[in-house]
Amino acid sequence: MDILSTFSRDKSKLVAILQEYQRELGYLPEEIILKVADYLGMSPSTVYSIATFYPRFKFVPSGKKVICACRGTACHVRGGGRVLREIEKKLGIKAGETTPDMEYTLETVSCMGACVLAPAVMVDDEIHGQMTPQKVAEVFSDE
Amino acid sequence: MTNKNDNARRVLVCQGTGCSSLKSAKIREAFELGIAEQGITDVKVDFTGCHGFCAQGPVVVIEPEGVLYTRVTLDYVPEIIQSHLKQGEHIAALYYQDPVSGTAVPCYRDIELYKKQKHIIMRNCGQINPEKIDDYESSGGYQALRKVLSDMSPQQVIDEVQRSGLRGRGGGGFPTAGKWDLCRNASGSSKYVICNADEGDPGAFMDRTIIEADPHSIIEGLIITAYAVGASQGYIYVRSEYLLAVKRLRLAIEAANEKGYLGENILGSGFNFKISIIDGMGSYICGEETALIAAVEGRRGVPRSRPPYPVQSGLWGKPTVINNVKTLANVPVIISQGSAAYGQTGSVNNSGTVVLALSGKITNSGLIEVPMGTTLREIIFGIGGGVPNGRRFKAVQVGGPSEACLPASLLKTPVGFDSLAQVGANLGSGGMVVMDEDTCMVDIARYFLSFTQSESCGKCTPCRLGTRQMLDILERICNGEGKMQDIDLLLELAKTVKSGSLCGLGQSAPNTVLTTLRYFRDEYEEHILQHRCRAAVCRGLVKAPCIHTCPAEIDVPRYIRFIQRGQPEQALAVIREKIPFPAVCGLVCFHPCESRCRRAQLDEAVSIRELKRYAVEYGGDLWKSHVVFRSPTGKRVAIIGSGPAGLTAAYYLARLGHSVTVYESQPLAGGMLRMAIPDYRLPKNILDEDIDEIVNAGVTIRTNSEIYNVESLFEHGYNAVFVAIGAQNDLKMGISGEEDHRFIDRLAFLKDVNLGKKVSPDDRVGVIGGGHAAIDVARTARRLGASNVFIIYRRSREDMPAGREEIDKAVAEGIHILEMTMPVQVINEDNGIALECIRMEKGDIDSSGRYRSVPVEGSEFTIELDSVIASIGQRLHIPDKFGLSTADDGFIAVDNFTLSTDKPGIFAGGDAVLGPSSVIEAIAHGRQAAKSIDIYLGGAGVIDEVLADTEDDTISGDPSDLPRQVSAVMPATDRIKNFSQVELGYDKEIAEEEARRCLRCDLEEY
Repeated sequence: MDILSTFSRDKSKLVAILQEYQRELGYLPEEIILKVADYLGMSPSTVYSIATFYPRFKFVPSGKKVICACRGTACHVRGGGRVLREIEKKLGIKAGETTPDMEYTLETVSCMGACVLAPAVMVDDEIHGQMTPQKVAEVFSDE
Repeated sequence: MTNKNDNARRVLVCQGTGCSSLKSAKIREAFELGIAEQGITDVKVDFTGCHGFCAQGPVVVIEPEGVLYTRVTLDYVPEIIQSHLKQGEHIAALYYQDPVSGTAVPCYRDIELYKKQKHIIMRNCGQINPEKIDDYESSGGYQALRKVLSDMSPQQVIDEVQRSGLRGRGGGGFPTAGKWDLCRNASGSSKYVICNADEGDPGAFMDRTIIEADPHSIIEGLIITAYAVGASQGYIYVRSEYLLAVKRLRLAIEAANEKGYLGENILGSGFNFKISIIDGMGSYICGEETALIAAVEGRRGVPRSRPPYPVQSGLWGKPTVINNVKTLANVPVIISQGSAAYGQTGSVNNSGTVVLALSGKITNSGLIEVPMGTTLREIIFGIGGGVPNGRRFKAVQVGGPSEACLPASLLKTPVGFDSLAQVGANLGSGGMVVMDEDTCMVDIARYFLSFTQSESCGKCTPCRLGTRQMLDILERICNGEGKMQDIDLLLELAKTVKSGSLCGLGQSAPNTVLTTLRYFRDEYEEHILQHRCRAAVCRGLVKAPCIHTCPAEIDVPRYIRFIQRGQPEQALAVIREKIPFPAVCGLVCFHPCESRCRRAQLDEAVSIRELKRYAVEYGGDLWKSHVVFRSPTGKRVAIIGSGPAGLTAAYYLARLGHSVTVYESQPLAGGMLRMAIPDYRLPKNILDEDIDEIVNAGVTIRTNSEIYNVESLFEHGYNAVFVAIGAQNDLKMGISGEEDHRFIDRLAFLKDVNLGKKVSPDDRVGVIGGGHAAIDVARTARRLGASNVFIIYRRSREDMPAGREEIDKAVAEGIHILEMTMPVQVINEDNGIALECIRMEKGDIDSSGRYRSVPVEGSEFTIELDSVIASIGQRLHIPDKFGLSTADDGFIAVDNFTLSTDKPGIFAGGDAVLGPSSVIEAIAHGRQAAKSIDIYLGGAGVIDEVLADTEDDTISGDPSDLPRQVSAVMPATDRIKNFSQVELGYDKEIAEEEARRCLRCDLEEY
């Protein structure tokens, strides 16, 4: 793994470097933060402060499947909240958490731009539209 | 359309986000394979971006004929190849179905939704393969860039855009050429251009769709911008969640590099320019331009104060232009067609078009593009097809989470930067989320604020803390813990956050709160004062929507579960906990509970009223075993009127130990239940069953006893009085000729029939009105022998306040409905009445979300009738000596919560206060009156009780998938011969089946 060598020691590249590591590892472990800070000549706390600012960066590993429930307006008015609660019940975790067996991570997004399909839930890269609490079981049985 | 491949045979499969999620890539592969197998060589298969018909996806277009197939599945592919491509026979079953008219439309160019639009920004969407630069070029792409580089100076480009009047489509509406000009004239040699594609607004998906469908139009626009301002480096900042959009942008930049549209010495002009893509990492605030710059620089994406503006000091401190995706997509069109041609679209100071993302409670969801100046009404109802499922429009949220929610009365507003600003709104991102009566406006304000609050970057205090405070207050209100002072506090905080915040996020975050307070304040007050959420949404207040929407708050899911367990006697006990009229309600309640039933989102509401009837018919007397009677208090209460309000109050007051006497002016008790509801809906013996139990509770009913003076009751030793006299007088139409004797009084007619007098109506009867009462009158006349009965209603049949089932039954019985028809005068003739009517048409949407009906000039016509019965409403007839004040609507003025009048000891309720209303609303008033009177007499005012046994948890398994069970009805030909009951009710098996459909919302453990 030699991501750093493809970047110059330019502080403005921080986010891009972290993106590469996340793409590779799925999250940003502490040793990577330290390594990147060292490479760019920044303090680890500065790197952390920037990385944690952006919601898409993760600091713990995700489950095998990432379920992402949309919390956008169209999804909200069409009952997305109840869909999310049903998924939480089904998985036994809250949004932002991962099941202990590392099978599922449940996330939310403020809008995935799939408003026409509202309420929408994304499982990995696949969007499931017009969800209802009753259809949640189907999404998991598809797996 | 500018497509150059006019006569080529092509199968175009949409692979926008909506259709892709329905596996349209597999459909395209199946077409490729199938066509190859069939040896068809002259048909090309390709994919496109979004057409905007996402709601009916996956979508396939066959060119050159332009046939649009919707909801195409893999199974249909061989048929399309065989019938359409080989034999030229279209498959009508897959045509687009117009959701409004219901007709099938073969060709997409003829679809109403499409015809009313004008595509400039979306000119190539759905027309070309977004991953092929050749497709873009053959649609005229990169011609504008060629023109700019060969014939125009940067200043000429700026001047041309200036003349077009183009304003920034990111929401601000700042003149684009002005921005460019400032940047061009700013000192310094390196300058930057950035395309802002960090589309983060919930409800906005236009930038994503445009990039996915036509990425080159944005790249071309950005190159021209760079040339105009003198930049050699550009960035596209795009959300990393938009996987497909990012992929297509990368491909497009690569292709443009290869073709020499990007890079060194572009098209031999000496101009150099390159574009990098920056993946946004999900921070909403980065859509703000100074925050976006910080993010591109690799820092925390927090905004800074302006000035200096980015055009003076932007990226790395250099002059920088930031334009939105849609702004840039306009630029090549302005250059190619000229500013004059471009400026012809749109309205004054708002040239061009606007792309809107329609979503929420709207029939046609999707992306549309219309000229600036189009009204909200035309967009939502004309193009969007209005609100589906017979629901009423309540509000539209325009522009994003920090923008306004506008009510029906503002649907006339044209869409434009300036016109929206006038009503407190902002075009913003162009997201347009439609809300219907199932949306709670307080919850919506809370929802938006929770969004902006969590996205607040925290840099400035008013935004960070102010939005938190506002959110706390809104959460309190949604949980039923709000106070009226909270509203003032919200307004004050909103002012501070707006004026004290640094960037657009904080400055606009309070807008939803301000507009919902301005336009929907009554909903806030209901939450605070009555703990009611009329949309049955707020979880802190609503145990289940059916319970919350029932005026008497019957615990519906609990009794349905008892039915499912085979315990109708327990079910009846649950119903009896709240109402003393279970038999009546089982037959005639207008069941508001079903209107919010969540099962309706799957198929149809649970048939709650029919289940109630079953519980009553099979429920026996078990409920009586838990009924408790309080010891006598020695207080006496007089109740005037023996309708559902009066008798309900009487029942509970007697149970509380008071001595209760009900005075009824008619010979029999029951009020409107007896006088106005015909036997075929409510047989009198069933009404008597309920009344008997009330009498058994110790209530004395004095019939034929009219009260003229309330004060005299106190002189006779009563301690409190409840006035529940109903609304007994019919409203007049106010048209000439109405005083004729063949214009029959509705209540007098029904009373005569219901009290058993012989009534033989004429042959041709006109009934005016659209409520339950009108339907009852019409069906009664039909049963009495009138062969031609016409219901004349000024709005459409869908808008009739009467229940759908009742209307359908009337029609089945041969009653004619003349909708959109208004009587204007009565012409009396010797042998009958000629009723002159005028045709109505749909006008604007009124504040209740219904279409106004307006007369069509010159459309007058007459109907020959023998008699006319007007049923358009009732008014109060109150004896002078009652001395009670009335409200503006003419009904008795009371305190809405206690039902006390302005005279001590006198309470009023039912139709006398509400105006003509429903049985269950009258019962709810009776309950409230009993509580208030008991408190007035020194009691605790507690009438809640538990009559059923504790539920065991034997219910298991998921709700059933079966459709709503329909009760058997007597055939229409038989029922018009007499007044026998029409609906025959459920048996045990069907009732338990129907009960299994309940989703048990009350058991949700959250």
